[in-house]
Amino acid sequence: MRQMKIFAALLTTAALLLTGCSGNGNQSGETSKAPEIPGAQKTETAPETETGEETQAGTEGPITFTDMNGREITLEKPADRIVALTASDCEILYALGAGDTLVGRGEYCNWPEEVLDVPPVQSGENTNVEQIIALQPQVLLMSAMAQTDEQIEALENAGIQVVVSYAQDIEGVYEAISMIGTAMGKDDEAEALVKGMKDTFAQIQEDSAGDGSETIYFEVSPLEYGLWAAGSNTFMDEVAQMLGLTNVFADMEGWGEVSEEQVIQRAPDYIVTIAMYYGEGQTPVEEITSRSGWENIPAIKNGKLLNLQNDELSRPGPRLKDGAEMLYDFVYGGESDN
Amino acid sequence: MKKKGREGFSLPVYILFIAVTLAVMLLCICVGSVMLPLKDTLAVLWNGLTGAGGPVNEMAANIILPVRLPRVLCVALVGASLSLCGGAMQGLLKNPLADGTTLGVSSGASLGAVAAIAFGISLPGFPFAGSMVMAVIFAFGSLALILSLAYKLDSSLSTNTIILIGVIFSMFASSISSLIITFAGDKIKTITFWTMGSLQGSSYENALILLAALALFGGLVIGCGKELNAFAVGEDNARNIGVDVRRVKLTVLICISVLIGVCVSVSGTIGFVGLVTPHMLRSLTGPNHRRLLPATLFGGACFLMLSDLLARTLLNPRELPLGVVTSFIGSMMFIYIFYMSRKR
Repeated sequence: MRQMKIFAALLTTAALLLTGCSGNGNQSGETSKAPEIPGAQKTETAPETETGEETQAGTEGPITFTDMNGREITLEKPADRIVALTASDCEILYALGAGDTLVGRGEYCNWPEEVLDVPPVQSGENTNVEQIIALQPQVLLMSAMAQTDEQIEALENAGIQVVVSYAQDIEGVYEAISMIGTAMGKDDEAEALVKGMKDTFAQIQEDSAGDGSETIYFEVSPLEYGLWAAGSNTFMDEVAQMLGLTNVFADMEGWGEVSEEQVIQRAPDYIVTIAMYYGEGQTPVEEITSRSGWENIPAIKNGKLLNLQNDELSRPGPRLKDGAEMLYDFVYGGESDN
Repeated sequence: MKKKGREGFSLPVYILFIAVTLAVMLLCICVGSVMLPLKDTLAVLWNGLTGAGGPVNEMAANIILPVRLPRVLCVALVGASLSLCGGAMQGLLKNPLADGTTLGVSSGASLGAVAAIAFGISLPGFPFAGSMVMAVIFAFGSLALILSLAYKLDSSLSTNTIILIGVIFSMFASSISSLIITFAGDKIKTITFWTMGSLQGSSYENALILLAALALFGGLVIGCGKELNAFAVGEDNARNIGVDVRRVKLTVLICISVLIGVCVSVSGTIGFVGLVTPHMLRSLTGPNHRRLLPATLFGGACFLMLSDLLARTLLNPRELPLGVVTSFIGSMMFIYIFYMSRKR
């Protein structure tokens, strides 16, 4: 069953790569085949790893690399028992076809769906070192801010290799993917994944007609709980620039609570909300449309609102590509291509 | 009752209070995150009040009436309600540290609202009434629990016992809230943001609910001013001069619970207002509740409106959490006033 799901995921990834490049004619048609080949290999080799998890070890010598905290890491063999605390790292593992090496996940990891079958551990400020040690992972993947030095020391004393993955921009996501690829002994897959992302982003940038005159507003938390927006140096801002749009809160660094009045004054042409919809009451888009005083914002007048429900643009993982494509379709009209 | 003229404030003083509050309100409406020309702001306000249609600045029209005015109104009403509650509790319990937050009533109300959101408790037809009703019920339940426990342990209801139990209950309620949040799964984001509290997105409906609660239950509390004065001398003394101690206590406690519950469900937990404003005003009005309680209404409203003004404008275009500003300014002012009044 799991095998089927991975295969399906790979198929959809390949399909996305193909459609993402379809606008570019023959040349990109050829390049988009490249990621497909390791993908196919992966599905064939996967049964081997499942039947004999231990046997995979020893096929290669020790692996050395530098993690994103600048520490030299040496692994005796490619990692085969992993606990990943951040959601994006889980997504990268699955995208590399290494989802079955996960023996524990951070509590917020929720994509793809099968990750929910992996036992959760507490993460962030509540990280429970004992819980992690009990799972006996070979490698613990986590972000730079998640743990104190004492906790890292305790984990390493227990024989668990801590690897820090900490992407703050899209370039950092590439770095994280290739680092995790190296740790897993899946360099080719990582390269293909990064290339797929780069191709998609390049294509989007090329196709986007915007010159920065149109504006976009990214809403992270709805009005009821205080408006939070994405400012500069966020993934959303990077993607907006890619699309030739200007983020209305580009003058704010990172994420922040903003004033409702400012949104009205800055009158964005597009609004993207990442609020969740629980299937009751107003949808996030309806809720934004019904806010009083917002009637004259161009995005609302023209119905240019998009709800990205699944963290596509807020997580430093491979699905940033999907988020960028969804945003592209939203801004430049999806009906022509997809 | 006969001494009303001498004990309470006279009409001119009330007019002065109202004028000051309105002036502060006008200031808070005219200044904001987006700087609007004063002329346009006043024109929009005037048109809104008189119903006259006229040529107005479109930006001002989009911001003042739909966004800024309802928020300022809600802030003023929350400030007035919380301060009144603080003043009444301090009088009733003869306890200078009594307040919704120190006694754990706010945490209890939060717990109720969190539970309502997490378990989807709602009244049919009123999507947001669920958390409000739960907040009120839990506020009263908490207050009843804390006071009955305190009474059991120490029938004189001494300051230390009440505060100790209040603080412990507050932590208990917060821990249950955290527990619910941990198990709430998907809705986790919603609740986490909710507990931080925000007055962004306040609507006229919110203001109307707050106003109704304040008029009814706040009015009842102020009406108990004479009895609260008797309590200040001592509960036995109050009984001796003919105060129905049980009835007054119950009335005041129910009123306080409703007010705190409604405020928490609209704005989240805002600390310090209820604790500090009555103390600051007591140095102006003296300890008489017939003067103190009405004064807390206006003082609390002005204090919270000004704090919110800073929260909205200080880090433009960002907003600060209101609780940060109230605690910071509140403690500074409190220390100053406390120091000056003790030195004399």
